[in-house]
Amino acid sequence: MEMQHSDLGNVRKIVLTGRLDTAGVDLIETRFGASIVPAGRNTVVDISHVTFLASMGIRMLIATTRSLSRKGGKIALYGATPAVREVIDTVALTDIIPLADSEDEAIGLVAG
Amino acid sequence: MEECRDHTGLRSAEIVDGKLKLVLNNTLAAVEDGRIEIVRFLGTLDDMAQNRLEVLFEELVTNTIRHGFSTNSDQSIHVQVERGAGAIKLTFEDDGIAFNPTLANVPMSLASADPSRLGGMGIPLIVKLSSSLRYENLSPGGDGDEFHPRNRTIVSVAT
Repeated sequence: MEMQHSDLGNVRKIVLTGRLDTAGVDLIETRFGASIVPAGRNTVVDISHVTFLASMGIRMLIATTRSLSRKGGKIALYGATPAVREVIDTVALTDIIPLADSEDEAIGLVAG
Repeated sequence: MEECRDHTGLRSAEIVDGKLKLVLNNTLAAVEDGRIEIVRFLGTLDDMAQNRLEVLFEELVTNTIRHGFSTNSDQSIHVQVERGAGAIKLTFEDDGIAFNPTLANVPMSLASADPSRLGGMGIPLIVKLSSSLRYENLSPGGDGDEFHPRNRTIVSVAT
């Protein structure tokens, strides 16, 4: 599991690559939260290279979203593969974190 | 029959009568070690079916290790994988705390789920991504080193 971050103006961008399973979350959870929450900025997360998502990954995304929300920031995901999308839909993750098709759409969701 | 692997999560892997039989150790490394064996056994599947199968495997194994077993115990999970007509069937047996996933509380939505509880999100995935889900509470008995399962959970994934 790998993670990169950059900034798109005032929006933070995170790119996740690999499997968000138990082992993958163990590898990046601390860094993921530290890259997003302290700055308190709106964040878009590119999950187009996430090949697997299960409950530990969902929990990481929700926990970070809630922490950022307490600082006034928002998170949006974008680019889910069909298999990852099915997991997101199954647990209705979009009730908490919006999912966009593209980066531009995700930026619009956190800016709105 | 295949050889035992020298991976920390995998106690043994063998193919008997066309079925893959795994014995997984009480460590989260069992998830990846077991997954690799299943992928090797089943070969190429449809992407969606493959993902559903891997989600079910991950959730059931991690739930057992995190919530059903004592830390650092010598307990194990026995998994059988078999191809059926239009489905892959996974049978999990363990001697951990009795747990029936078919009776578990499934949150109506994630907005009401407590993320501090792992099962809050794993159980809906197990229930909704499986094409069938069955649980049997067994009566463990006997002495010595022989495996005596308490839980048997059977899930199927349509292919």
